[in-house]
Amino acid sequence: MTASEDEAAVQQVLAGDTSAFEGLVRRWQGPLVNLAYRFCHDRGRAEEMAQEAFLRAYRSLSHWRREAAFSTWLFALATNLYCSELRCIPARLVTLDDVAEPRDPRAIDGGLEQEDQDRAVRRAVHALPAKYREAVTLFYFHGMDIAAASRSLSLPEGTVKARLSRGRAILRGKLSQHLVAPLLRKEA
Amino acid sequence: MRDSDLDRILSNEEEILPSSGFAASVMEAVQREAAAPPPIPFPWKRALPGLCVAAITLVALLTASILLLLHGAPTQPIPRHWRAALNSAAAVSQNLGAAWIILALALSFASVKLATLFASTRLPRYERT
Repeated sequence: MTASEDEAAVQQVLAGDTSAFEGLVRRWQGPLVNLAYRFCHDRGRAEEMAQEAFLRAYRSLSHWRREAAFSTWLFALATNLYCSELRCIPARLVTLDDVAEPRDPRAIDGGLEQEDQDRAVRRAVHALPAKYREAVTLFYFHGMDIAAASRSLSLPEGTVKARLSRGRAILRGKLSQHLVAPLLRKEA
Repeated sequence: MRDSDLDRILSNEEEILPSSGFAASVMEAVQREAAAPPPIPFPWKRALPGLCVAAITLVALLTASILLLLHGAPTQPIPRHWRAALNSAAAVSQNLGAAWIILALALSFASVKLATLFASTRLPRYERT
């Protein structure tokens, strides 16, 4: 399904053919569920949030102005919903101070150490204040594309850049020790 | 930690596949939504005159209270025609039960707003397969 097929499906739905919406659901279910999953890291909740996003899209389909692609509009709508959902009921109660330290910074097993680092980084992203977490999550979800992230967040690019920069600074500060140990070992 | 480390880790997030019944469940919810009758709109046309009267009364009362506080009680008696108009207005509103009508309208408005708010924030959850 292409962008023009998206538009045709929308036209059909608006003309009263509800079943045409299925094509849109099948095309965008993966990205929408994955985006939700990046926000909450809970498969069940991600699917619930994605379903809610599709329902909202169905209800407000007539509000989609053809200035932007259907996908842009859908992502902005879903992002808005996910952010407000998670502000009401946070994914998990982790503060930046609670982010786990690596199990053993001097581990010999590189694989396990890497896993620890990855997990710590993801937990730290989760513990960021909402506005930074949203910018960081969207930036990486859109393959490090600031413009796409800003469209999804309905914010100016400058604001997203600033939030991303601040979010990364917080992460660097919190997680410095996670990569310092391996680097020091490499240098030795 | 450098940005490149963050980029490497956060770019390699695991991808999940939606469960097999996800699209069907969404479509079921969409069909339910399509079949549902449209929401009953708030009867603005009927409520508007009452709301206007209530607003005007409220503003008049507030203005009178403020003037009373600033200048004290009027030294001159209220003119006869004003008194007659006020008495007749009070009698009419008492006969019609204006206070109760205003209260009922306010309560209806509040309940409709609350119901709309709850309906828009909580949608039915689908059964996962």
